[in-house]
Amino acid sequence: MTAIPVEDAVEVADDHGSDHHDDGHHTSLGLSNMKLAMWLFLGSECLLFGALISTYLLSKARFLTEVLAGNPEVLGTLPANLIEEFQAEGSVEPLFDIPFTSASSFILLMSSVTMVFAHQAISKNDQRNTRLWLATTAALGSVFIAGQVYEFTTFYNEGLRFDGNLLGSALYTLTGFHGVHVTVGIIMLLSLLVLAFRGKLNQDRAETLELVGLYWHFVDVVWVLIFTIVYLIP
Amino acid sequence: MTDSITLDSTDTHGHSDHDDHAHPTEKQYWIVFVILAVITAVEIAWSYMGLEGPALVVPLIIMMVVKFLMIAGVFMHLSFDSKMPNGRTFYLCFGAAMVLAILVFLVVLAAFEFQI
Repeated sequence: MTAIPVEDAVEVADDHGSDHHDDGHHTSLGLSNMKLAMWLFLGSECLLFGALISTYLLSKARFLTEVLAGNPEVLGTLPANLIEEFQAEGSVEPLFDIPFTSASSFILLMSSVTMVFAHQAISKNDQRNTRLWLATTAALGSVFIAGQVYEFTTFYNEGLRFDGNLLGSALYTLTGFHGVHVTVGIIMLLSLLVLAFRGKLNQDRAETLELVGLYWHFVDVVWVLIFTIVYLIP
Repeated sequence: MTDSITLDSTDTHGHSDHDDHAHPTEKQYWIVFVILAVITAVEIAWSYMGLEGPALVVPLIIMMVVKFLMIAGVFMHLSFDSKMPNGRTFYLCFGAAMVLAILVFLVVLAAFEFQI
């Protein structure tokens, strides 16, 4: 512990508050205002997805109860072969293609690694690798979205409609909201890529990329929950 | 008279220095990724083992939570940023809010499940 004059202390604090990021404003929590704002936003997103996952679980349980009880109103919303499979299994598992979704999950997991490499590269002002890893992350995200479009098409062809029954509404809403979040993430990544190609993304703006990275990892972590709760637990 | 204040030596550095030397290395990121991939593979294999009830669900939930914590802690730097001066305060608040939110959702689910 050392005692120093107030004027010197203020000067030292100013120097350290702005030597890494242009925004230079830090909260007393040790985080920049932007990072704190992103965490608060992600907190609100936790509540959104928590509500969607809870709704899905409740809707699926109610849907299955109706199917197993033979409620004609619910049975009429799906093809007979799908209903028979649901009744035989006692779950909605026959609807899902687990190997395909597992591959999608792996791709999204991979994109989190490429995202941290992009952040590492910009921290070292390595422009070439920053562009490379940003492009790779966006590409992996796009593959995931393409997989989700394929999956939705399959669901639709099997007879599952958004407005047909509780299962369809809840499943499309939950996975659809996640897909929209991934798409927004891809747009942010492509925006950063354009900035990088124009030479406007450098070490001083590493925090901007870190914030996008936080969002991207959050989207990944939500999929970890969805994959287990929706696809693996019948 | 000149006023003076007392500073801990870390106070003058803590705010922004963490970006340079507190985060994992590339090798550590790869190790975490491999662990996550292995856990995912085990999850999928577990779901095909024909187990039912708690024997199926509990291990899957545990593996899911481990993956969640690894991504949040390493990729999102939570376990590293929380070592900053005052960083722990924020992350404890955030963690407490998360736990509270999860409890609320569980109570809601239980209310529907048991027709409270």
